[in-house]
Amino acid sequence: MLGFAVKRSASAVLVLFSLSVLVFLIFFATPGVDPAARIAGRNADQATLMQVRQEFGLDRPLPVRYGLMMEHLFVQRDLTSFVNRGVKVIPQITQAVPVTLSLVVGAAVIWMVVGIAMGVGAAAWQGRAADPIIVLLGVVGVSMPVYWLGEVVNLLTQSRLHGSVFSWVPALGYVKLTDDPAQWALHLLFPWLTLAALYAGIYARVLRSEMLSALDEDYVRTARAKGVSERRILIRHALRCSLIPVVSLFGLDFGALVGGSALLTEVVFGLPGVGRLTYEALQNLDLPVILGTVIYAAFFVVLANAVVDMLYALLDPRVRRA
Amino acid sequence: MHRVRTSVALLGLAAAAACSSGSTASAPSTAATGGSSPATSVGFQEQHKGGTLKLLAKSGGGTLDPKINYTLQYWQLYQATYDGLLAFKKVDGEASFTVVPDLAEALPEVTDGGKTYTFTLRKGIKFSNGADVTTKDVVASFKRIYSASTPTEGTFYNGIVGAAACIKTPAACDLSKGVVADPATNKVVINLVEPDPEFPYKLSVPHAAILPATAPPKDAGNVPIPTTGPYMFASYDPNRALTMVRNPYFKEWSHDAQPAGYSDSIVESFGLTVEAAVTAVENGQADWVYDPPPADRLNEIGTKYTAQAHVNPLTAFYYLPMNTRLAPFDNVKVRQAINLAVDRNAAVKLFGGTQLAQPVCTFLPPGFPGHVDDCQYTKGGGTTWSAPDLDKAKQLIKESGTAGMAVGIVVQDDEVNKAIGEYVQSLLTELGYKATLKPISANIQFTYIQNTKNKVQISLTAWYQDYPAASDFLNVLLSCASFTPGSDSSINIAGFCDKGIDAQMQDALVTERTDQKAADVKWGQVDKAVMTASPVVPLFTPKLIDFTSKRVGNYQFSKQFYMLVSQLWTK
Amino acid sequence: MAAVTVDGAPASRDLPAEQALPSPGPWRTALGQVRRNRAAMASAVVLVLIVVVCVAAPFYAHSVAHTDPFTSNVSGTTLVGGKTVPVLQPSTTGLGLGVTPLGPTWDVRHYFLGADNQGRDVMARLLYGGRNSLLIGVAAALLCCALATVIGVLAGYFGGAIDAVLSRLLDVVWAFPVYLLAICLSVVLLTSGLTIGPLHVGAGSLWLPVLIIAVVYVPYVARPLRGQVLALKNKEFIAATVGVGASDLSIMRRDLLPNVLPTVAVFLPLMTALSMLTESALSFLSVGVQPPQASWGTIINDGLGLLYTRPAVTLAPGIAVALTAVVLNLLGDGVREALDPRARLRGAG
Repeated sequence: MLGFAVKRSASAVLVLFSLSVLVFLIFFATPGVDPAARIAGRNADQATLMQVRQEFGLDRPLPVRYGLMMEHLFVQRDLTSFVNRGVKVIPQITQAVPVTLSLVVGAAVIWMVVGIAMGVGAAAWQGRAADPIIVLLGVVGVSMPVYWLGEVVNLLTQSRLHGSVFSWVPALGYVKLTDDPAQWALHLLFPWLTLAALYAGIYARVLRSEMLSALDEDYVRTARAKGVSERRILIRHALRCSLIPVVSLFGLDFGALVGGSALLTEVVFGLPGVGRLTYEALQNLDLPVILGTVIYAAFFVVLANAVVDMLYALLDPRVRRA
Repeated sequence: MHRVRTSVALLGLAAAAACSSGSTASAPSTAATGGSSPATSVGFQEQHKGGTLKLLAKSGGGTLDPKINYTLQYWQLYQATYDGLLAFKKVDGEASFTVVPDLAEALPEVTDGGKTYTFTLRKGIKFSNGADVTTKDVVASFKRIYSASTPTEGTFYNGIVGAAACIKTPAACDLSKGVVADPATNKVVINLVEPDPEFPYKLSVPHAAILPATAPPKDAGNVPIPTTGPYMFASYDPNRALTMVRNPYFKEWSHDAQPAGYSDSIVESFGLTVEAAVTAVENGQADWVYDPPPADRLNEIGTKYTAQAHVNPLTAFYYLPMNTRLAPFDNVKVRQAINLAVDRNAAVKLFGGTQLAQPVCTFLPPGFPGHVDDCQYTKGGGTTWSAPDLDKAKQLIKESGTAGMAVGIVVQDDEVNKAIGEYVQSLLTELGYKATLKPISANIQFTYIQNTKNKVQISLTAWYQDYPAASDFLNVLLSCASFTPGSDSSINIAGFCDKGIDAQMQDALVTERTDQKAADVKWGQVDKAVMTASPVVPLFTPKLIDFTSKRVGNYQFSKQFYMLVSQLWTK
Repeated sequence: MAAVTVDGAPASRDLPAEQALPSPGPWRTALGQVRRNRAAMASAVVLVLIVVVCVAAPFYAHSVAHTDPFTSNVSGTTLVGGKTVPVLQPSTTGLGLGVTPLGPTWDVRHYFLGADNQGRDVMARLLYGGRNSLLIGVAAALLCCALATVIGVLAGYFGGAIDAVLSRLLDVVWAFPVYLLAICLSVVLLTSGLTIGPLHVGAGSLWLPVLIIAVVYVPYVARPLRGQVLALKNKEFIAATVGVGASDLSIMRRDLLPNVLPTVAVFLPLMTALSMLTESALSFLSVGVQPPQASWGTIINDGLGLLYTRPAVTLAPGIAVALTAVVLNLLGDGVREALDPRARLRGAG
């Protein structure tokens, strides 16, 4: 098991390294990305441009620049933005993380509760009218573009019905949990619901099919034959077994979301989280921030993958040999 | 100055970046609203003192260092914090273009045929850290222009004796002959290589601000540098907020140059979308939004909140530079045809309507020194633009034999710029070209279109004045010296270089040293000659809309640095 | 598959490693089963309708609405209730700020859904946009599945160094949250275009989003396929062919490919929905389809600036995207149940 963990970690580090090189190369190969002129300011003299190039090390060979950037990011931890001069990358990320965590954790609670309820409901009522309705609801949730749903929610809560039903909805933005918990929740309510709508649909669909195949298994038949109540079979047997793949899926989704995959939701609702930070850095071609956030994001994805893999390895020894 | 938007043009809703700007029912330099009487009163009105002014901006403006920052967003705030030897008068309206003595006791004595400026520093002024402002700080501040690589070091301040070497090797900078101080008499002498009638303007912008000699020689980033004005920066987080509080050592020394402020503190918060920010101002939760309101809110502001909207024309223009070095625009007939074909009214409509922009046909904006009403590209002739002349344009293109060529238009990807770009694309298609549109991020488009390596044929951009001089448009944007092939910093985007016109501009610059009126006439002639060669299509001159909350009073608009933040009161 | 999305992007990764081989002649049986699946059939009908309507876009634009959806009509006028009105109406009240496009007229001949900020007919653009969205969705899904099949089969069959390199490559793409990678590539390629050898894809080309979307989803399909090939390789019948001395190529073509194709077929409709959603998201962030070309995503983006005054411009394409994705997903579910009920991605439900 230890060997597996070591191998897994080594490959994770390799992936992160390749990723950072990849991002670095992608962005330095693009025309128009040379930040010197943007750093120097409008209509700067050619000599000023040279000064800036030198000061930011932009005149060095690519591998040296990559090395310098990594050194500033990980060793000295003082990598600074190309666009907002003097702004350090790491504090920007650490400030954005709580916002993203607030969004993702809240949404996750909602989608897990709703998703499980829907999945169990659909499985329990299989063959009745409720099942296809739940299935359809799930598909609709999955099929709506999340950013569009967010905009429609904004249209209703911020404008069309803001004068009546939704007068209690605050302006877009984020309030720190430590500043005012009630406002924090109020500001995040609609982002939570929007993000959860998508995932609740996914999880309901997953759980439903897991439960249906579990209900077909021998041990359920045995239990039924023993006269265990349907309700008990559903919850104690089928649900319990079906939850394992759901939980591992959850690990992957959660990792990706915390890593910045919630960017559409963050952008639409004006939440200054990691996803939005990355997106803005990409728009500005602010390479230090892009590198920082992408490595951060990849770290969470890789971590989630590794955790899920190791959990599986613990449960199933065959995986270790694969 | 190219108006800077550090922030990204996010999405339509969040962005609408360069979008719009306002207009007003009343004349430019509108009286303020919110139940207060405006600029006419002279002196500080004690009864309005106090409170916190809450400003909003979509995002921060980058470094706080006044020697580095080149954004309108912070230049506006520097007006209430930093001072130079000279300053633009901080008043409403036309008078705001006047240069007055600030940290200097009086306007400089100019000798040696315009090459020597002698200033006497005011006594008794302190920085916000309590230290006296001395001649030593003045000398250090000029040195710092070069050590910190100020964006304008090579364009504004390259004329100081010794500057050329300082720009090349900042480490070995020797200004001892250029900026000479005499601590005993409190005099500072600045020597120039050549006479420069625009030098007083250049000393009045934030890049020439006087900072403590102890300020770090490099970009200070987000660490505030002590100030001299009524406010100092208390804290700055470019992702959250910038806080200004009263400078405890400030005493008003010249109401014209640096008037005392009304609010006790001023906070500019970042991060809200413009859409949300406008709502916040409507609801009285904030007092002002830096970014122009989104297109779909204009009607609402113009009808429900008329008293809170202030619209002022800017000395700026939106234009389409055509690359005179690439086909088909290397043919003057094609360039003239485009100038004839573009419907300025369409561009105005896409910008937000006739109350927000005015069609233009000359290079210098209306009301600017040197501007003469003249239009070579309007249907039926006349001195102002009235309608496009498509027939004539098509004729010229036919003569040029360029129809069918591929033409790419590069624009910023925010709502308004993209919309105008789509219109131009559609027009070029109608004229027979294979036109494609390439919208790219607002932050990189401006440098992208300058670099000849990117082979940009036609683009859309805007230019905002740095100071009120014709040369800041014509000489900066179209002289041969402003064109550097292969560089991201080549502000002559059209790559236009006409020896004759260059000589005309030099002549006008020399005339400026002795006779401004005669020079203005010459600039007018340059403008006409330029428009005949047609390297750019001037579209319109924009207006700026300031949307303030109900409680705000004493709105004043400086044509130089826009709304005077320190003069707004909330009580 | 499509079901598992991270903000619209799939997180589900691998197919159950081992699965039953499809019975001989699975395609015909499967078709029959799909036919009996009412939800799938209804979805197929709706999908065909959507496709037909979108394909008929030029007919609608030229013969019904008499409009060119790609030409600005800033100063144009149209007929509403018999009266001539400007398409873009400048505000005339108060300070006279702003210009508002015509709202929906509900008249199919004139601006049924109103105008956008260029004064173009939104309905006509919606149909043209649908063509592009569907085209990109289908093309990206096909390309992605093709690439993934090649990679999955090669990696799974050869193992060793080839597998190591390909798998690492997949891992790297995998570690990049889908949207971030797609935006990264788009930002870069939209400024420079893409040149691979003699092939040049221009910056404004529709093929750019196709390529980008196809590439970012490759691991999502390639990984499960690789697992499947690994499992197949150990099966007796393959070992037998190897023993007979068949060439690698013929084993892959004759024995492996037919066995993984049903799984690929299951992915196709789901991947199409996913690609379409991704395209719309990229276009929404203005890094997808470039103007004056339209897609449902770009129209949503165009409409955002008008959301508060003319919500129809945003609502209509959003509904179109959602509806198409719903039917594709339902159809995909049907195909999966028919072809290979157990070939479900973790999370595909």
